[in-house]
Amino acid sequence: MKEQLEKMAARARDEIQAVDSEAALQNVKTAFLGKKGEMTAIMKGMGKLSAEERPVIGALANTVKEGLEVALKDRFDQLRQQALQHRLASEKVDMTLPGRTMFKGGKHPITLVMEELVDIFSSLGFGVSEGPEIEEDFYNFEALNIPKDHPARDMQDTFYIGDDVVLRTHTSPVQIRTMLQHAPPVRVIAPGTVYRRDSDLTHSPMFHQIEGFLVDKKVTFGDLKGVLTAFVEQFFGSGTGVRFRPSFFPFTEPSAEVDIACVICGGKGCRVCSHTGWLEILGSGMIDPEVFKAVKYDTEKFSGFAFGMGLERIAMLKYGVNDLRLFFENDLRFLSQF
Amino acid sequence: MNVTLNWLREFVKVDLPTEDLSHRLTMAGLEVEAVEEVGAGLDSVIVARLESVESHPDADRLTVCQVLTGVETVQVVCGATNHRSGDLVALAQVGTVLPGEFKIKKSKIRGQVSQGMLCSEKELGLSEESAGIMILEGELELGAPVFDALGLKDVRFEIGLTPNRPDCLSVRGVAREVAAMTGQRLESPDTALLEEGGAIEADTSVVIETSEVCPRYAARLIKNVKIGPSPGWVVRRLEAVGIRSINNVVDVTNLMMIELGHPLHAFDFNLLRDKRIVVRCAGENEMFITLDGQQRTLQPSDVVICDGEGPVALGGIMGGENSEIQDDTTDVLLEAAYFDPNTIRRTSKRLGIHTESSHRFERGADVDMIPYVIDRAASLICELAGGKVSRGMVDVYPEILASKQVEISVRKTEATLGLGIPADEIKRLLTSIDLELAKEDGGQLLFTIPAFRPDLEREIDLIEEVARLKGYDQIPVTMPESRLICHRPDKRQQLVTTCRDFMVSVGYHEVVNYSFVSPTSWDSLLLPPDDARRDCVPLLNPLNEEQSIMRTTLVGSMLETVARNLSYRSLDLRLFELRPTFKKQQETVLADEGYRLTAVLTGRRFPLGWAQQDENSDLFDIKGVAETLLKVIGTTTVDWLQDGKEPYLHPGKSCRLMLDDIMIGQLGEVHPAVLDSYGIEQPVFLFDLDLQVFQDRELADPGFQAISRFPDVFRDTAILIDDEMTSEQVLAVVEQAKGAYAEEVVLFDLYRGKGIPEGKKSLAFRVRYRAADRTLTDDEINKAHDRIVRALDHKLGAVQR
Repeated sequence: MKEQLEKMAARARDEIQAVDSEAALQNVKTAFLGKKGEMTAIMKGMGKLSAEERPVIGALANTVKEGLEVALKDRFDQLRQQALQHRLASEKVDMTLPGRTMFKGGKHPITLVMEELVDIFSSLGFGVSEGPEIEEDFYNFEALNIPKDHPARDMQDTFYIGDDVVLRTHTSPVQIRTMLQHAPPVRVIAPGTVYRRDSDLTHSPMFHQIEGFLVDKKVTFGDLKGVLTAFVEQFFGSGTGVRFRPSFFPFTEPSAEVDIACVICGGKGCRVCSHTGWLEILGSGMIDPEVFKAVKYDTEKFSGFAFGMGLERIAMLKYGVNDLRLFFENDLRFLSQF
Repeated sequence: MNVTLNWLREFVKVDLPTEDLSHRLTMAGLEVEAVEEVGAGLDSVIVARLESVESHPDADRLTVCQVLTGVETVQVVCGATNHRSGDLVALAQVGTVLPGEFKIKKSKIRGQVSQGMLCSEKELGLSEESAGIMILEGELELGAPVFDALGLKDVRFEIGLTPNRPDCLSVRGVAREVAAMTGQRLESPDTALLEEGGAIEADTSVVIETSEVCPRYAARLIKNVKIGPSPGWVVRRLEAVGIRSINNVVDVTNLMMIELGHPLHAFDFNLLRDKRIVVRCAGENEMFITLDGQQRTLQPSDVVICDGEGPVALGGIMGGENSEIQDDTTDVLLEAAYFDPNTIRRTSKRLGIHTESSHRFERGADVDMIPYVIDRAASLICELAGGKVSRGMVDVYPEILASKQVEISVRKTEATLGLGIPADEIKRLLTSIDLELAKEDGGQLLFTIPAFRPDLEREIDLIEEVARLKGYDQIPVTMPESRLICHRPDKRQQLVTTCRDFMVSVGYHEVVNYSFVSPTSWDSLLLPPDDARRDCVPLLNPLNEEQSIMRTTLVGSMLETVARNLSYRSLDLRLFELRPTFKKQQETVLADEGYRLTAVLTGRRFPLGWAQQDENSDLFDIKGVAETLLKVIGTTTVDWLQDGKEPYLHPGKSCRLMLDDIMIGQLGEVHPAVLDSYGIEQPVFLFDLDLQVFQDRELADPGFQAISRFPDVFRDTAILIDDEMTSEQVLAVVEQAKGAYAEEVVLFDLYRGKGIPEGKKSLAFRVRYRAADRTLTDDEINKAHDRIVRALDHKLGAVQR
């Protein structure tokens, strides 16, 4: 029997090595170690052995069985590895093929700029207010110290809805509405759509502005410079040159135009900045006492500053857009670039 | 306002480099918008003498000139005809680059060598037009640069003035600013006027009938002038500031206006009936022809200058055709007056006449300047046109306009600017622009304001002047010490942001269209005459008909945008607009400016690609977007009312969105006839949503529901029903019958065609069952699902397939 076992083991090992698939190996396993396999058949002869032989053969049979099981497992692992290697080697796609593309949406560049500005000024503690686009003369002009027949009305060509109703020419009326509703301190920005009766290469009859103002005790022109300098550095990058120069707005005094060093040429002078090295980006100033009078704020107790800028201009500078009309043509080839 | 450096130098010493001067003017609030250096880089254009001028042997119209430069003789071929041998000319030598990047090279013209060019004034940038080349007058040194020899080198500054600074609408006014910023003195040229004629009172008189609108009127008489062209220096000065030369008398009035800022007018004295002046208000609908030949209808709010019979000038704005200086004028009546700014402004605006004169008077002229400017003008007229000035001046000034006094405090100045400026410095700064200190009391300074600064009325005006003269760059950069305020975006702002972010995330691009549209868009959208959207707000003064009414819907503009993009061959479009519309209101003049969201879809469902179906979008693509959006903003109870009532949508492929019986929008395929009128040739799917409804109402918060940890089981069922039956009807029955364990019901198939009888359709749905507290048995699930199937059979006659 010992000889029988050893012969079977040798044959089994040969066959284990000979097969080349997991299925064939499974067959080998069944043939030798299965319930109806050779091992079982041989072991049926145990009963005929003597009492001395039985434990010896028993031990041998166990050794043979364990040995075969180890060999089978190793071979299984080996074949599985081979199969995996083969599969990996054969399964190859062209990873340069594009994926299943999707339509990508996007916000209008004016919205993007508006959101960035709101973000910057929110971080400085400004809230967001809005007002109507069809506005009363009182809020758009009168309360902002622009009486009828004042030359300052020429600065803004107005669309009229009625005698005392206009399409707002700036976002400044939101200043008046907000101050009439809230006592100081107020710290608000007002983004919105505005209208002027002017249409050519550099003027659109509808465009967007963002207005900002701050009123509290002890607010100075120095504070105006501080807040607007912080804004310029956030939006155009720290180290961007900024200057404040005297100007005139009926609703602020002293008034200042704010220029930044030309973002195109870095201040050396180019076509965009008319060879001055500077770009005008916003108007600002200390809120005029006449405005405070209109909203019944005490000018002895409170002071404040206000500023306003055109979003299209800011967007043109930020993105390098060279034609104002593109913002309103809504050409997908334009919109999809932002 | 344009000024030139040479002109400025008559009033103030300037030795700053051009760039510095320009920068400092800008930083003082006089924004220099452009600088032009006349004669810069043209030193190689020299004075030369023509030794000989002969006809070109091979060209009739050309001459061959031998030109003496002082050093050598060169040959130049010239195309002009106004030059003679012996003339002094401007020779651009080889290598010169003339204005317009025109480089002079040595060349051969029809076989003749030409070493340079004889220049005209136009070619040197000295005038707009010129006939022939420039022939130089006087004794000039050969070889000297022409611009130096003639004193023509100059710098022209274009200054953008703010409306509060009428004082700078003159060379002298700008010079005052330069003097203040450089610590120089402002010079005033003398007016030594010879009065050789008889007394003016003997010849004429002035009566002011309306002294509120014309507080002062002065006149001078100059007899025996000879009208003719002005000398070159006058022409060039006027041209440099953009004024065309007319004749020696009119030019003097213009020259004085630019130099001193006060508009003057010259009448032909002999054309004045009765030889006298009356200043009065115009009559109602009084007719008058201004010197531009236009007939004007006047009103009592206008001020007219009259002679003995009627108007001869529209006061402060424009002279009359009946009294203007003619070629044969011999006697001139010169007017210098002051008019009320508001009156001039109203008249000029109503009549649509904007002149250099009205521009200055409506901003405020200098009433104290009148005697000086009229004497200067009279003396210059004598110089240029001969004539004798009558003795004396008529100066009617019944009530002297008092000069203003304004106080400024040192403390308030510091509180406003955030920079302490001592009283002595405030004094120095304000007196540098000719304000006079009237009184000083501790930190309070009282100043007398000169008449040329009508803008300085209040303390804050003086504080601004102090800041301006000190320099804004001297004010420290600080941060406000403000109190905290809690600010959060309000409900509308949040809603708008949520909707916009969502639309972008599902592949839509945001567009921005004009708020004004064409009234014809209502017809294009097939809106019936009684549609509420036609009741819109019109503009009184639109730019054009296409932009004349405020839109009540975003749909028309959106379809135009689609059409435009399709014409650019962008054929796959997903666009949305999220902006206010304007609804008329009864109780107020303001509009109801509720936000709407309009989205469109047309073209492919997916971008063209190797791995995806090339198929077109349909209605249910956009409906899916709308459904998800409504979920995102917290609404699940919208009814899709398919009544075919939205005029611009396909009646069979559209619905109206109802929320608790309020219409909140529309969705569907755009009506083929509407597409046709917008020139769109492919189906367009659209939804339009009123966002105001959502911002105005509290939406029910569904709250949190616990998640079951037990397994789910699903059952699929297909049923056969009448084609007329809607999925809403089917799902309503399922909803009612589904029982407590049905977690989700999904319609996953719709089939008509082979195997399905005519007039029927097959709908398949899947129900997912799960209990919160245990694993459901097969029996429980089967029972629940059977209930649904039986209900469908019972209520809708649906047959299970």
